Amino acid sequence: MQLKPKALPKAQNARRRLMAASCALLSAGAARSQQANIAPAGSGLLEDWSVDSALAYYHEDGRIHAIEPVVDLSKVYADGKSLNFNVTFDALAGASPNGALTSHAPQTFASPSGTSLTGSHTYTTEPGQLPVDPNYHDDRLAVGGSWTVPIARLTQVSVGGKLSDEHDFFSATVNASIAHDFNEKNTTLSFGVNDENDSLKPIGGAPLPGSDYALFQKTGNKSKNGVGALLGVTQVITRNWLSELNISVDRFTGYLNDPYKITSIIDSTGNTTGYEYESRPDERTRKSAYWDNRITWTSQVSTAVSFRYFTDDWGIRSETAQLHLRWWMSNRDHYVEPSIRWYRQTAADFYTPFILNTAAASTGNQSADSRLGPFHAFTFGLKYAEQLADQGNHVGSEFSARVEYYRQTYDVTVPVPASLQGLDLYPDLKAILVQIGWRF
Amino acid sequence: MSFGQLGALCMMAGALVVSGCSSIGVKPWQRDVLAREEMQLDAEPVDAAIDDHMYFSKEASSGGRSFAGGGCGCN
Repeated sequence: MQLKPKALPKAQNARRRLMAASCALLSAGAARSQQANIAPAGSGLLEDWSVDSALAYYHEDGRIHAIEPVVDLSKVYADGKSLNFNVTFDALAGASPNGALTSHAPQTFASPSGTSLTGSHTYTTEPGQLPVDPNYHDDRLAVGGSWTVPIARLTQVSVGGKLSDEHDFFSATVNASIAHDFNEKNTTLSFGVNDENDSLKPIGGAPLPGSDYALFQKTGNKSKNGVGALLGVTQVITRNWLSELNISVDRFTGYLNDPYKITSIIDSTGNTTGYEYESRPDERTRKSAYWDNRITWTSQVSTAVSFRYFTDDWGIRSETAQLHLRWWMSNRDHYVEPSIRWYRQTAADFYTPFILNTAAASTGNQSADSRLGPFHAFTFGLKYAEQLADQGNHVGSEFSARVEYYRQTYDVTVPVPASLQGLDLYPDLKAILVQIGWRF
Repeated sequence: MSFGQLGALCMMAGALVVSGCSSIGVKPWQRDVLAREEMQLDAEPVDAAIDDHMYFSKEASSGGRSFAGGGCGCN
């Protein structure tokens, strides 16, 4: 994620080209379906390939908005090998919270590229408003792929990778996994490993963790690296019930701070006296258990139910529960799929919405990033999908539209000075996602 | 826990799962419902990827369904 005052012309051009390409691909799907009776079956550029594409628009109330086209291509060969490519582009803009606490007084901040709290590279937050950088902008292009090969009748291996590029961030990930079937293919055991290497090139430099915001103590580029492993078992329970259990662990080391997040320092009367850059630990180990179930209840109704328990050595624990209910209609011509997701997390040990002041700078880890704080969230979703006429090799074509509403509510219980109690210090995050998709 | 210990634990867990699961499941001719698109664990990869990216950028947890890496500087 990056914050920069203005989009670069090069980035704008790249965005336009990618948007055009994505729209063209989506249009190609439409054209393909409408001209099924004209064009020879299976003809065209994407013959023998399955294409899953979508265009999503994400909008937060008063903050970020983003547009994200996604294209996923896959091909299964006669000998069981399969190939997959995917491309994702994000264009984000809007206002991003900088971590500072709402105050009764105006607050002036420097843009990421700024080196002073005065002048043109600054922005001011009005009293009673959540401090946000209004010039947030970010473009991201990610490409990934995987290659799966059967190495025995019941065993297959897969290797893959992903590259993701932003103006201030670059990530390269490789992964490999092996899966083996047992019990007449009712049980599948899988094991995978991945390695991620990230380069951070924060605008204006990477701040010294925990340093005084007013001193602009910044250094050059930073990096972080992660390795992970995932062990999974998939089991057919009954004719109508498929279940999967995954256990995963990963460990990241390096510069794990958000270089654009700061923490307010306030005195006992609630006045803001300064800010510090956040300071997270330089290593993190995460573990999770994930249980997914696909259950068909009738010829028209099925559910996908999943649960996840997550914990890490920063003190964060979370639980996630998700339910999708798919209801087919009219001889499986179309379906509606309402969904609900519930999420709750505890705060990181070093999370603090502010530093209660004192003249001395803190020496331990601290972050006011609300994403490391305690909160719960709900997502309500609704999807509609229409099955399209079979088109040569592209059996199972589908047009879909879906909308999701996401709301985070903070559960911060830290006492605040009396003068701040009338302020909305932890406003809810409300977001909506609208997406159309084409699969052919 | 060392990698050796973790490997041994995984092998033991795998053996238990394989032996414990041998009595449940279906015969090959009973897979009609399981073959439906909505019964596939990766039935909607694009929807899942978009949702995962949204949650990755707004929450402290990620992963579970697959590897947790985000490939994104947003969190």
